[in-house]
Amino acid sequence: MGDRIPAKDLVPVESLATLDTARPSELVVGIPVLNHARSIAQVMESMAMGLAKHFPSRKAMLLVVDAGSQDGTREVIRSWKEKSPDAPLIQDVYLTGPALRGRATLAILLLVRHLEAQACALVDANLTSAAPAWVYQLLQPVLQGEADYISPVYTRLMSEGTLTTNLAAPLTRALYGKRIREVMGGCAGFSAKLASQVVEIDTRANDLDAYGMEMGLTTEALVSGGKVVETHLGRKMVIASPGEPDMATMLARVTGSLFGLMERYRAFWEPIDGSSPLPQTDMPASFSSEAAEIHVERMVRAFRLGLKDLLPVWEQIMPEETLAHLYPLGLLPVDEFRFPPLLWARVVFDFAVAFHEWRLPREHLLRALTPLYLGRVAAFLAEAQDATPSQFSDLLDHIGQAFEEEKGSLRARWR
Amino acid sequence: MEKAWTEILVSSFQEVTHRLSLLAPRLLAMLTLVLLGWIAAVIARRVVVRLLVAADVDARCARWGLMPTWSRTGVLPSPTTLVGRLVFWMLLLMAVLMGIEALELTATAGLVALVMRFVPNLIVAALIMVSAWVLANFLSQAALIGAVNAQVAGAPLIAGAVRWLVLVFGGAAALTQLGIAREMVLLAFGIAFGGSVLALALAFGLGGKDVAREILESRLRKQEESEDPMTRP
Repeated sequence: MGDRIPAKDLVPVESLATLDTARPSELVVGIPVLNHARSIAQVMESMAMGLAKHFPSRKAMLLVVDAGSQDGTREVIRSWKEKSPDAPLIQDVYLTGPALRGRATLAILLLVRHLEAQACALVDANLTSAAPAWVYQLLQPVLQGEADYISPVYTRLMSEGTLTTNLAAPLTRALYGKRIREVMGGCAGFSAKLASQVVEIDTRANDLDAYGMEMGLTTEALVSGGKVVETHLGRKMVIASPGEPDMATMLARVTGSLFGLMERYRAFWEPIDGSSPLPQTDMPASFSSEAAEIHVERMVRAFRLGLKDLLPVWEQIMPEETLAHLYPLGLLPVDEFRFPPLLWARVVFDFAVAFHEWRLPREHLLRALTPLYLGRVAAFLAEAQDATPSQFSDLLDHIGQAFEEEKGSLRARWR
Repeated sequence: MEKAWTEILVSSFQEVTHRLSLLAPRLLAMLTLVLLGWIAAVIARRVVVRLLVAADVDARCARWGLMPTWSRTGVLPSPTTLVGRLVFWMLLLMAVLMGIEALELTATAGLVALVMRFVPNLIVAALIMVSAWVLANFLSQAALIGAVNAQVAGAPLIAGAVRWLVLVFGGAAALTQLGIAREMVLLAFGIAFGGSVLALALAFGLGGKDVAREILESRLRKQEESEDPMTRP
């Protein structure tokens, strides 16, 4: 069974030769990097400490793969390596070719197989809250055979991660029948077997952008029938890196990857009804009700502008029935603005069907979702504003249920 | 008197009969050519339509963003049908021209050569216009969505400007290809394009201070968004 993309096609030959000297390696902590000079040293430090503390007797490797940083990341990595001679085996790999984050992730998956590792932890280079304990939490259950995939759960502000809470998680829940909290959580633990399965899949160009590879990994874990377990990692803190896409671009990339996965796994999701929670290795996460500055008014204004100016585009994507429910929302004052989860689920499925049928150039279609997403987020934040953590959990569950209820309409229209 | 009258009649009849006997084979040849051309055109249309259907051209046009504008015209059939009809009429036109040439009439001498010289330019000009149309639709839709997402007021105006700019450019290129008043077209295009840019610059600078501010603010907002945790998954 050969890889779709052989490791030698992605990873420079001299890096492969160096890695061969460390082969086999039982554990791999992989860090995909792209312009993370501000945070990479901190993440490497934490991960190296975690490997040294929790797996001192195992043959482990800290594998940093740079997809083509231009902000001095390479110098930071090399300088940190020189200053930390006692750290576990560190290998830094620099890819040539297009600077896409997903290529670094794909290279790590390929190298996990190449290195004949038993378990791998994947940690984003911008996760400054990454703690040494994460290494244990992400690798130990896989090593013990208790899980094939470890998905993170974080303590978050209610206003954080709305792309996950309002789109990625409820859509994944309704499609694949698992109530996973993070579809692209920034880190994960998984078995070499799962990594091998993912590299066998035909990788599309948009998978290599943004979080496509991570979402592909999570979804493959859900559909492959392996044991998927959630682990609570505490607070998630990230540092923005230069060149990060704006919100509309990020939404288009994430949604495009999710819809692409729907096409790939149609046979799996079509017969599924309902959902079940995932087992957790420790205490469930709680949501922090800490206040955050929320620009609801700006979001509602974006929604109204979309309703006014993007209607000719939306008419090609959504049926009149959906549009008829959207029109009245444009007349609501900001403090009374609402966007019911059931309507939002309907909108997302309308876009998924239109994406599948190529009714518009796909990039245009995905970007046309932005004002609707902002409207939904505005309504969500207004609802969540005074909610207790328990009420907030119910709110998220309500969104997931709405997607499950609307799945029938998706199934009927997806040809 | 009676004899002369009879001679005139007979000679006229003979003359007409002689002329008809000369024209008849040519007429027959023309009718045959038109008939054969019509049969060939019908067959070619069917073959082309089947090939285009097999290549899923209508769906591909949808992917390129062509179909919405296409169907909005309300008069154009699907791209596959339209190409089929074009092939049919082109072949029939060629057959008719060949038929006219077969008549060997003085009035139509050189007509075929003239038309055949013009046809390649006409095809290239048509291709330029179709390409300009596809590009205009694609870019105007991209501009509309981009402007709305950047929360810029007057997005349809921007999209319309982009569409007409590309169409005018395409039209000028097509007319130049056809050799129709080449200098005048170039001059008119240069004046119109330069004038539009100058007018836009003046309007933006003098009358559109608020819009300019809005655009700059939206750019700043985009930068802020990358620091905003809500925009991250």
